[in-house]
Amino acid sequence: MASIACSLRAARPVAMRLAPRAAPMVRLAMPVRSFSSSRMSLARKYTKDHEWIDLSADRKTGVIGISEYAAEQLGDVVYVELPPAGDWTDAGDSIGAVESVKSASDINAPVRCKVTHANTLLEEKPATINQVPEDDSAGGGWIVKVEVDEEGAKQFDELMDAAAYKEFIAE
Amino acid sequence: MRIPQLLSRRATSPLRASKFSSHLHRPLTSRFSTDAASHPANRVQIYLSKSTDPFLNLSVEHRLLQITPPDSTILTLYVNSPSIIFGRNQNPWLQVNLNRLAQIAQDPSSAGWNDSPIQLVRRRSGGGAVFHDAGNVNFSVICPPEHFDRNKHAEMVVRALKALGRPNTRVNERHDIVMDIASKGEPETYKISGSAYKLTRLRSLHHGTCLLGSPNLSSISGLLRSPAGGYLDARGVDSVRRPVKNIDVGNDEFKDAVVTEFESMYGDVHFRGEFDDTAIQVDEIRRGYEELQSKSWIWGQTPRFTFSTHPTEEDPRPRPELPFDLNMCLLAKHGVIEEMTIKHSDGAAVNALDDSKFHGASVWEIDNWAESLSRAGLGGSLSREAGAWLNGMFGTDYTRMVKS
Repeated sequence: MASIACSLRAARPVAMRLAPRAAPMVRLAMPVRSFSSSRMSLARKYTKDHEWIDLSADRKTGVIGISEYAAEQLGDVVYVELPPAGDWTDAGDSIGAVESVKSASDINAPVRCKVTHANTLLEEKPATINQVPEDDSAGGGWIVKVEVDEEGAKQFDELMDAAAYKEFIAE
Repeated sequence: MRIPQLLSRRATSPLRASKFSSHLHRPLTSRFSTDAASHPANRVQIYLSKSTDPFLNLSVEHRLLQITPPDSTILTLYVNSPSIIFGRNQNPWLQVNLNRLAQIAQDPSSAGWNDSPIQLVRRRSGGGAVFHDAGNVNFSVICPPEHFDRNKHAEMVVRALKALGRPNTRVNERHDIVMDIASKGEPETYKISGSAYKLTRLRSLHHGTCLLGSPNLSSISGLLRSPAGGYLDARGVDSVRRPVKNIDVGNDEFKDAVVTEFESMYGDVHFRGEFDDTAIQVDEIRRGYEELQSKSWIWGQTPRFTFSTHPTEEDPRPRPELPFDLNMCLLAKHGVIEEMTIKHSDGAAVNALDDSKFHGASVWEIDNWAESLSRAGLGGSLSREAGAWLNGMFGTDYTRMVKS
């Protein structure tokens, strides 16, 4: 998986970094295991900034990561800065950062939330973000687990579902 | 301090005709204007800094990243006094020869240093460690994320260099600007400019160096080489070494040529400004400045690292033999020691030693390892020998000096 991902990235000209209108990524068609989970289709939503969030059935907790599209665009991730647990962060504010190809990129909170766990696997294996960015299981590239309040849950409803997001990045 | 809106008006055509030559034309003021920078009509802005303070220049640049209109494109040109600028996710103990920085600050003549002391700066963007001085001009372009391209503005600088009669320059696969020089065998390639990027939700920043006429070229490599390199294993980002060279162009000439290329890319310039050290009077700039200068940013932002005098499972590199009978291993996160193990080299425990005394200590706050080892219970001569060695490894001469 890793080597496939790498060769795909390498095959992509740098200029495509700039071409959000490019044809949909080959990788989207690849069998990614969490695509089959009903949880994803029901309760995973995406932001225009390419973060995703899973919201629990009781709408009180969530898992946040970056989309496959974003991971592809970033290039090889060499470091992930994880946030400390504890503080409430408003939607759009930074909850961490990744470094790839000399670039420090903010990861923003898709909704108002409070970080409860950070994915410490990413400290050791930052490339997991390139390999399985949308995997919210142990070993996956998710970034943080969060608590969500009423405001955050309301903001969640405003985000794009998988189909809308797919359309958004194909635009 | 508010500046009259007059400043944010479009440049008049005679002004544009003069091409905003950095030495010919001076704006009305050298004050940084938040109003002008954030004015929605100012979609193309150019700034020249008169400050050589790296903390100030980076803080103004960061403020511009935050407040300029989302659809605007901003060029800033600045020159820093001697400084080592390392990447957001780097380890200063690994990237920098801190002892040398201390020596240069304390006794420049015996260090063979004829310039001002070297400041150590962690920037907010990614990438590796670079050296700046008066012979290096930095360019910075802030633009909307949808127009971001790692090479776009490096290519702009290459066009400027070509216009100045340097046809042998190009952008390489690492987005650096290099110069090819013909030689008998393979052409030799030298790096003259390195780039780093910061990408936020609304804005993208690309800044880069350009070595024009640095008098300190021969010192750079030694400054960016740590004695701890063979013992320290760091997460985060490493630097990639490349031979460097000056391109031998004057600073003003270069700035003018870059401004010209920028103008030909973006057309009408809606605001041209200068700023100097008074920019620190702007509250948000001062806050950014203080953050960049804080110990928790310079040292505490360091990704997890281990330092071990002997090969470990995590870092099996062979180590040179030490002049004392100890095996020491420490693990630090955010520069704070989480684990410390000190044993005799045969693995035997050291009598009366409580290595947990180090837990929670910030590496940059340890002024003298000999004293700390002694406080943890290590006997006289051994603590002195091992302590002196660790002082060299962690550059305590420097960390002590900048602690105030």
